[in-house]
Amino acid sequence: MSIEVTGLTKTFQAPGGDVHALNDINFSVKTGQFISIIGKSGSGKSTLLSQLGALDQPTKGEIVVDGQDITRLSGSAQTAYRSKKIGFVFQQYNLIPNLTAAENVMLALEFGGVPSQQRHDEALKLLASVGIDEDQAQRRPGKLSGGQQQRISIARALANRPSFILADEPTGNLDTETGKTIFKLLHDLSRSHDTTIIVVTHDLEIAGKTDHTYQLKDGKLINYKK
Amino acid sequence: MNVITRGMRGAVRSPLRAGAIVIMLAISIGLIVAMLAAKAGVETKINQVKQTAATGITVRPAGINGFAGGGDPLTAAQVATVSKTTHVASTVSTLTDQLGTTDTNLTPSLELGSFGMRAQRFEGSSDMPMPPAGMESSSGSSRTLPTPRTTVTGTTDANSVAPNGGTLTISPGITIDGHANDNQALVGTDLATKNNLKVGSTFTAYGQTFTVKGIFKTDNRFQDSGMIVPLATLQKLTDQTGAVTSLVVNADSSDNVATVVSSLKSSLGSTVDITSEQERAQTSVTTLASISNLATSGVVGATIASAVIVLLTMTMIVRERKREIGVIKAIGGTNIKVITQFMTEALTLTVIGGVIGLGLGVAVSGSITKGLVDAQSNSTSSVTRPSGPGGGFRGPVGQFGGTAQRGLQAITSSVTPATIASGIGLTFVIAIIGSALPAWFIARIRPAEVLRGVE
Ligand SMILES: Nc1ncnc2c1ncn2[C@@H]1O[C@H](COP(=O)(O)OP(=O)(O)O)[C@@H](O)[C@H]1O
Ligand SMILES: [Mg+2]
Repeated sequence: MSIEVTGLTKTFQAPGGDVHALNDINFSVKTGQFISIIGKSGSGKSTLLSQLGALDQPTKGEIVVDGQDITRLSGSAQTAYRSKKIGFVFQQYNLIPNLTAAENVMLALEFGGVPSQQRHDEALKLLASVGIDEDQAQRRPGKLSGGQQQRISIARALANRPSFILADEPTGNLDTETGKTIFKLLHDLSRSHDTTIIVVTHDLEIAGKTDHTYQLKDGKLINYKK
Repeated sequence: MNVITRGMRGAVRSPLRAGAIVIMLAISIGLIVAMLAAKAGVETKINQVKQTAATGITVRPAGINGFAGGGDPLTAAQVATVSKTTHVASTVSTLTDQLGTTDTNLTPSLELGSFGMRAQRFEGSSDMPMPPAGMESSSGSSRTLPTPRTTVTGTTDANSVAPNGGTLTISPGITIDGHANDNQALVGTDLATKNNLKVGSTFTAYGQTFTVKGIFKTDNRFQDSGMIVPLATLQKLTDQTGAVTSLVVNADSSDNVATVVSSLKSSLGSTVDITSEQERAQTSVTTLASISNLATSGVVGATIASAVIVLLTMTMIVRERKREIGVIKAIGGTNIKVITQFMTEALTLTVIGGVIGLGLGVAVSGSITKGLVDAQSNSTSSVTRPSGPGGGFRGPVGQFGGTAQRGLQAITSSVTPATIASGIGLTFVIAIIGSALPAWFIARIRPAEVLRGVE
């Protein structure tokens, strides 16, 4: 499961003029790789993840995933792509507040087409694999710590055995210690599941532990030299 | 756990707000149901009025209205002319009289009151039909002081006294033969109670003994304080052979009413006043139609109000949960699913509001209908008029003279299955209209926004 990005460009029309968030980006990721992307705030990191996750349409360029250019998919095919091939992990966890931890994971399973009778058990298994026990699984996000919420969101991202996980500053809202454990969790998953992970981070220490680090600067993606 | 249960749970996510919205919706939907019920009631009434008013024509001697006014009663010849007129199916003749204290051993059940006192201040130049024979000698004392009197209706059809042109309610007892000329009588329930009269009791009037055949009840105090005897009996006892003060003519079909009215006008000339119930009903129908229109506007207004409540609520909810919607889309939820979830939320609130509103509407529909009718009939002065004056001033307004008018007070809201069905239908319309725009907002939310952190 590889990703080939060629000539990816994203320009936003803003009141103050065009913003060239991404400018002719070229790179590729091989299956099972753990990639990090660093860059200053506003450098286009989230924009890049949006394009990779088919959350947004690029201005120009191709994103070929397993031989298919996802930028040319129809709206519903892009939705299906998001539900089956991608797992998102957000800085703000973004769990649905009135659903329990288990129900949050079941939601992703529902969108991935898992039959309803299997969802509950599957969700508990996924939650267990990220260190959330059955008691915690029945609680709503508001009753859990930031680290626990991020674990749940990782379980949700893993729900449909995605080809790759896109994580946008997953440790950004956590203290250093918790951030480290969450990062370790992602790292272990990429090893054990052979899942491709692309993580955006500010933290150079974290970035240093990944297979490869890119840096976004003025809309250009460059290799980061350690 | 599917999209529907998620929607239902979402609806009660913030119980306080959900409660407030449900209450607002319940009030609006209650109003809709009440208005629908009022409309149904009014429409039933319109049909009734149109039906009963279809063929009736009232012929009265010019200048006489009950016991008031002056002039000569209709003669037997005139009545015969009317009966022979083409398109006349049937006629009911009525003569009214009043019994003073010296004419009968019965005690009047109607208090004179200030109204009756005033009405009798012109005694001596009485506007009544000729006093009965044998009264002259004792008239002196009976006429100096105003006294309550008992009304006697001589009619060829006792049902003509019934309200709303229906059949007279007689219980206990049986009706009398209006074409007889013996001393049988139907007495009003108030008069019967006052004098302890039962079926088979006898009493004296005009120096003769009458037998009570039945006791009738019209729920009109004035009528229920009177008695009904065969027309010929009253004509004979009051020395007014052939005289009639009110003649009700039924045309053979409602289409011929106008023809009959014009032939009667030409054959009877200016000595009579002819009114058809059709003309009179027109006023009522117009009034009723405007009440119905008012109710329709109420339904439309309340529906719009409810839809706006749902619309504003859902717009607010969608805006508040923009991020959540983005997340659902980002993790692979389709537009359809998200829209279904929020529509279910809207529908849940609306249905809860609808159920409470339905109950509320049914509960208040009576008073709303009454309010509508009162408001409308007050603004149309010709429609309301006092029925049943205290003290016996006016005679019966006419066989169905007051039908439409009295009927207006008798309008009741009608909560029919159709009303309920319309109410439920409108509830769904409200939910759908109210969530259409929010659904459009939902479809436009870009999942990419989720990644634009709250920096
Ligand atoms: N929807 C948008 N409309 C206009 N400008 C945008 C939009 N999204 C992102 N941008 C701009 O694109 C640039 C990159 O943003 P982003 O990818 O969020 O940066 P990062 O995640 O690296 O902080 C910024 O200048 C931002 O203001
Ligand atoms: Mg960002």
